Amino acid sequence: MKTAVVVLLVAMVAAVSASECDMLARLNVKSQWMRAYSHGRDREHFAEAIWRAVFAQVPEARSLFERVGGDDTSSAKFIGHAMRVLAGLDISINLLDQPDALKAQLEHLHHQHDERHIPARYYQALDRALMHVLPAQLGRCFDKEPWKACFHDILDGIKG
Amino acid sequence: DCFREPEHQRRLQSVGHPKMLRILLVLGLAAFCVAKTPVSHCCSAEDRHIVQKQWHTLFDYMEHSSKLKIQFGEILLLKLAEAKPEVKEAFKRVNIDHPESGEFASHSVRILDALDMVINLLDHPEALNEALEHLAHQHHGRAGVKKEHFKLLGEQLINEELPRVLDEYDLMSWKACMHGILSGIAADVPA
Repeated sequence: MKTAVVVLLVAMVAAVSASECDMLARLNVKSQWMRAYSHGRDREHFAEAIWRAVFAQVPEARSLFERVGGDDTSSAKFIGHAMRVLAGLDISINLLDQPDALKAQLEHLHHQHDERHIPARYYQALDRALMHVLPAQLGRCFDKEPWKACFHDILDGIKG
Repeated sequence: DCFREPEHQRRLQSVGHPKMLRILLVLGLAAFCVAKTPVSHCCSAEDRHIVQKQWHTLFDYMEHSSKLKIQFGEILLLKLAEAKPEVKEAFKRVNIDHPESGEFASHSVRILDALDMVINLLDHPEALNEALEHLAHQHHGRAGVKKEHFKLLGEQLINEELPRVLDEYDLMSWKACMHGILSGIAADVPA
């Protein structure tokens, strides 16, 4: 009986910590991101991989990016945009452990996206793209549960 | 470009003028390049790599601690506001009057990340130009924002802040590359 209770408790703790963006999950996500984000050309390729994965899922989303060279993800114009997006994500992920600053950052991003009327499935496509490109970048060091939990919070903040 | 002279020199030597004259000419050219143009166009490949490497040691360190990142960004902006009180107006929207606020913290980090973005694009001139043009556009029309503010911000960063936190620091490389970056961002604001 006692063992059953312990097992149940452990299972509950595991379930809770797996689906929640708590402080440990945030630190985990931060350190994974740091490694995936990388530098220079590697970062450009990382960004391009994410956007190709997005456009492969929702090709019609390209039209939203006409102004920033969305028809060619390798163009300098689009790379410039893709780096801005990653910088926005970098800031948000970095601030996961600074609730007030994170809130302000997400409000800023929300404000930038609000009037573009982006369908929810585009955000889902970005979510799914990251969940595929990140493990490609990090190998088995990618930890899915904390990412899912914390990145959902970030996306919700941007969607508002 | 100042350091891509060898071919040019070789051509001069093959022309067959007196040796002394050639040397003087080359020295004169070099001196002109160093003195007259304030190293602005001399962000050479080596300069870029030095800047990137040195910046990464700092930025990676700050990525471990968002508090450090926030504080470094805040110091930059608050020092600028101290020297040029009129810029406070431009940062009112991000609550500079309450530097401890989340708004000001996140804005400080945004500025550092923009800098990180352009430094990481230094090896990709077309994309760098796109990024700089976008930043220039974002600063265009901001009330009270002037070129001299960017100049001062750059000077404080290059001469004071960075040397204090970087063990390895090459002032000339930073000067050479930051000049182009800052004048790119300040392209659309009044002098």
